[in-house]
Amino acid sequence: MDVAVRAHREGDRARLIPTGPFDLPHARIAASAIATAETALTGCRTVELELADVVDIDGTGAVQLARLLDRVEATGPRTQVVEAHNPKAARLIALYRQRRTVKAPVAPRRRTILGRLGSIADSLPRALTRGLDFIGHDAVAVPQAVAAPSSVDWRSVPHLIQVIGADGLAVTGAANLLVGLIIGFLGVSQLGRFGVTVYVPELVVVAHFRELGPLVTAIVVAGRSGAGLASEIATMKVSEEIDALRSMGFDPVRWLVVPRCVALVLAVPVLTWIGDVLALLGGLVATTFLTDMSARAYVMATADAITGTNFLEGLIKTPFLALAIGLIACGQGLATQGGAAAVGARTTTAVVLSIFGVIVISSVFTFFFALMGL
Amino acid sequence: MPDPRPHIVVNDLRIGWGSRVLMEHVTFDVQRGSVFTILGGSGSGKSTLLRYLIGLDQPLSGTIDIDGIGTPHQYEGVPRFGVLFQSGALFSSMTLAENLALPLTTWTPVRGHLVEDLVQAKLDLVGLGAFAGHLPGEISGGMKKRAGIARAMMLEPDLLFFDEPSAGLDPISAYELDQLILTLSRDLGITIVIVTHELPSIFLVADSCIVLDKVAKGIVARGNPCEVRDQSNIPFVHAFFTRSSPPTIADQGV
Repeated sequence: MDVAVRAHREGDRARLIPTGPFDLPHARIAASAIATAETALTGCRTVELELADVVDIDGTGAVQLARLLDRVEATGPRTQVVEAHNPKAARLIALYRQRRTVKAPVAPRRRTILGRLGSIADSLPRALTRGLDFIGHDAVAVPQAVAAPSSVDWRSVPHLIQVIGADGLAVTGAANLLVGLIIGFLGVSQLGRFGVTVYVPELVVVAHFRELGPLVTAIVVAGRSGAGLASEIATMKVSEEIDALRSMGFDPVRWLVVPRCVALVLAVPVLTWIGDVLALLGGLVATTFLTDMSARAYVMATADAITGTNFLEGLIKTPFLALAIGLIACGQGLATQGGAAAVGARTTTAVVLSIFGVIVISSVFTFFFALMGL
Repeated sequence: MPDPRPHIVVNDLRIGWGSRVLMEHVTFDVQRGSVFTILGGSGSGKSTLLRYLIGLDQPLSGTIDIDGIGTPHQYEGVPRFGVLFQSGALFSSMTLAENLALPLTTWTPVRGHLVEDLVQAKLDLVGLGAFAGHLPGEISGGMKKRAGIARAMMLEPDLLFFDEPSAGLDPISAYELDQLILTLSRDLGITIVIVTHELPSIFLVADSCIVLDKVAKGIVARGNPCEVRDQSNIPFVHAFFTRSSPPTIADQGV
């Protein structure tokens, strides 16, 4: 049966007769039928809605007819629903008319690009203050943790080292191996032009031990464990677990952040060191594959190149990189407010900030060592 | 003329995971247009049974027929019923209006002003007309549940499932929610299945009920809630309806 709304005019009285099913599947046809019928109502003083021919009605159809009556009344005419033949339809229409909000709904907030830029600029000082406040809180937490060891969840540390260190070894190891291979290839191709491929082992050691080893390892850990830690704490925050900790007298920084930072500071140097060894292997494979240097000669040259300075200069910065990852990831997690979307946003920010932070800190160390003439 | 056939027929359902059976011999009918409640203590498997009814999990054996056309699989095609989850389960990145509009714009060709009108009407129906532009994080728990009901109703289903609709609400909000359920059932003729253990709600809204017990691993009583309360001689059921401790084995002199 087709949906239609017939309009009969008798002077200043109009009779609207909706016919057919008024339900969700027919909502679009009904909307155009209602719009057409409405044009015939100009100048009426009374409008009657006859529901006898409505064969099927649901909430959608009732809303459409209820809004029709509202619109008609708003322009002046009196409306009347003839409900004798279809009490269900009349009841539904009355329900949606009664429940109508008089107060206008709050319009969804849409911001312009300039508005958004302004609000970001406005929030920057607060974000900076909060970040510094968090670092201060962490600094205070360390002596407090030493003074009251039971306020820290030390039992979670071995598990965290397992998750961050052992479980992450395959991916950090593979990344370092490949970077060693790349330095080897580049060394052979560039130094080979001057006939000094004999310096490739030293290049691999210096480049990887000092700079790339700590950096590559930290970036992989930031992407992997940083995201994991941030989303875990963010989920705890939105599900009120952090509030529960506070209510039970635990300081979330001491209980959650300290063990995670400790685990990172312990695990990342080990990952870096293993990564360094694998990078040497990568360099060896590249050099012996591309040149006639023997593996033994490569190892001898490498052993000569590994000095205390080369080794320590790299390893000394890894705890700082690890600490930066831990603080940024946990800080972002604790700053989460809202629901699932906020967890995702904070996790993304944590990964981006920790990778950026790792690169900045690494550069600061390099600059400092260069100034020291090391 | 109302359809005399039951809306939902559950036959000899056996549910659990692997070898662990949570419930067995679960058989019941839900009449069209009625308010049906699934009762039981905490951990009795009420919410789990609901997951099977709405097709989120597959039973070990037995059948669930909705409208006589087999077990629903909610995620293939247009949903045939609406579900209110315990927390409302609104999408936190969307405003209430966007949450409600989603099923309409996904499953129907309705667009534009009509979507806005329908969304606003449903929000008005649950008393949230002024909150269309709010995010779920900005409204209270009770309001989230009401918004969840409005979203469940967007596709005009003739069957709604509610998981603990009044849990955690103050008595006034819980009463308002019960009135809304009665409106949906009486005025819109919707069949409503409610998982709950809120006694005042049960007596106010329910036409019939089943009582689940984890020890018995299934249904221990069924019928009109008042009759079950007055006539059941099972200690657990009696204790459930009178809010007392069930008699222990020692009390019974065994």
